Amino acid sequence: MPNNQLTIALSKGRMQDDALELFARAGIVVEESELKSRKLIIHSADQKYAFILVKPGDVPTYVEYGVADAGICGRDVLLESEADVHEPLDLKFGHCRIAVAGKREVIGQDYNLLATVRVATKYTRIASEYFQQKGVPIEVIPLSGSVELAPLIGLSDRIVDLVETGRTLKENGLDVIEIITESTARLVVNRASFHLKRIEVGELIAKLTAVLQ
Amino acid sequence: MSSLTKIPAGVQYFFDDEVRLRRSVEACAMRVFAGWSYDEIILPIFDYHDLFARGMGAEKAEATYRFVDRDGALLALRPELTSLVARTVATRFLKRERPIRLCYSGEVFRYDDPAERAAREFHQLGVEHIGEPNIVADIEVLLVAAEVLTTLGLTGFRIALSHVDFFSGVADFLKLDAETRMQLRQLIDRRNSLALSQFLQTVAPQIEQERRDDFCRLTQIAGKEDAIQRAREILLNEKSRAAVEHLAHIYSTLVALGLGDNFDIDLGDTGGQEYYTGLVFKVFVPGLGVEVGSGGRYDNLISNFGRSEPAVGFSFALDGLVAAIAAQRQAFRPDAEAPQPIVVNGDLSAAFGKARELRQQQKQVKISAQ
Repeated sequence: MPNNQLTIALSKGRMQDDALELFARAGIVVEESELKSRKLIIHSADQKYAFILVKPGDVPTYVEYGVADAGICGRDVLLESEADVHEPLDLKFGHCRIAVAGKREVIGQDYNLLATVRVATKYTRIASEYFQQKGVPIEVIPLSGSVELAPLIGLSDRIVDLVETGRTLKENGLDVIEIITESTARLVVNRASFHLKRIEVGELIAKLTAVLQ
Repeated sequence: MSSLTKIPAGVQYFFDDEVRLRRSVEACAMRVFAGWSYDEIILPIFDYHDLFARGMGAEKAEATYRFVDRDGALLALRPELTSLVARTVATRFLKRERPIRLCYSGEVFRYDDPAERAAREFHQLGVEHIGEPNIVADIEVLLVAAEVLTTLGLTGFRIALSHVDFFSGVADFLKLDAETRMQLRQLIDRRNSLALSQFLQTVAPQIEQERRDDFCRLTQIAGKEDAIQRAREILLNEKSRAAVEHLAHIYSTLVALGLGDNFDIDLGDTGGQEYYTGLVFKVFVPGLGVEVGSGGRYDNLISNFGRSEPAVGFSFALDGLVAAIAAQRQAFRPDAEAPQPIVVNGDLSAAFGKARELRQQQKQVKISAQ
């Protein structure tokens, strides 16, 4: 691998398309044939960038360890991982909210009247921190998917989850109780690459900044 | 004990080539330190907890492994070595001529990182240069650090230079309180340009937008002479200006020495550790995603031990240096010669006599009983 090539970790799935589209607008183009291949590492047409496609939650890890120089992931993932990386740009796509939700009948209920609130979530760290700051004791129930199911079948009182349109919640008789924070896609950069590939990282930030404005 | 095979999280065992490599990297660094007249100091593995709290601050000392002495006094495994050096210099080396140059090699123990994978035991190699307030000492320690890396055969390394007064000058100028100062520090540290720009708009609406944007760009990316030049153009306060001129002076000297490639000016580094008072720097090596070393000037630390004097120093993580050597797959290998086999069969005195003879010639021998 040429030394001045930048390796960028992308979240697989929907965010991947948005990210590649943003790169294309910034002049960093990945050929259709490259995209259609089932390769896990793909390259931009000019060979200046290598993209690795990984699970969204793993992007901060790849970047923190420096096996990827940079990455694109949601702020939600970043908050949950607490990875020690630079976060130079808000890429303004992938907008969603991290919210506390529950069954309609518990909305407006005072947390302090409950001994402990059971909260099912994929975001155990964000949930713990949020309720800790409010001074509400909670029991976190870590789940890796179908979090909306938890209150329906009595596993938890509340959930903390990503909300985009709120439709999934509504269809399951749930509603947003509080918004914890908003999230959009972020460019993250490894702390060492930031210095060792200063020119290349600077160029990437400049290109993306130009199309974001 | 639940199982004989279980090892506590964060501790390591080393053997074979790994040991030889680590020891030779250590010896190499210590030779460089000695070459610049740094005398080795061997420090205790534990000391009073209070000593570390005084040195690096109560918060840092929270991350120590603690236990009690027979008289009930609280002890701690050393979480760093600088406090031990500072106390020694301030109490026992009062009459020595300054500057004092000391170096050390040893393990420190911390459990500050909650991550499961994080090491708890770290081997550090470092130097402390005490009693010299001048830029001369700053440049000297930077050259020592660079020479260690060069001697290890590590290429393409970068040492990022900053100065704590750059940030604190800006924070003073904006009249930030402790909390907003911390927020600003975090935003700059994350290089989060949008959030930084919004923050500045709130705390400093009196400053024109263009200048605020310039500041965001300045802290977002490291540079060379260009960073110094841009900083000169936008800074409004004396403290930050003086910091930038200090860096400019150091940097131009390094350039004159042909080391320009290996150094960056990174005004987005806010210093991190509370005890730094001037130059701060971090060392990065290709192949490694984290810094292999860091250092800076800490002119107030020693006064915590009763004597005020300037000091500058740095330390390398031995694990980092070894990993960087492995990542660069370069030829830094400990010199190992194949041992001379000596077979003992029957005549013990003849065989061991032969072995002793070879040992007198400094040859490596390996006895095998048939």
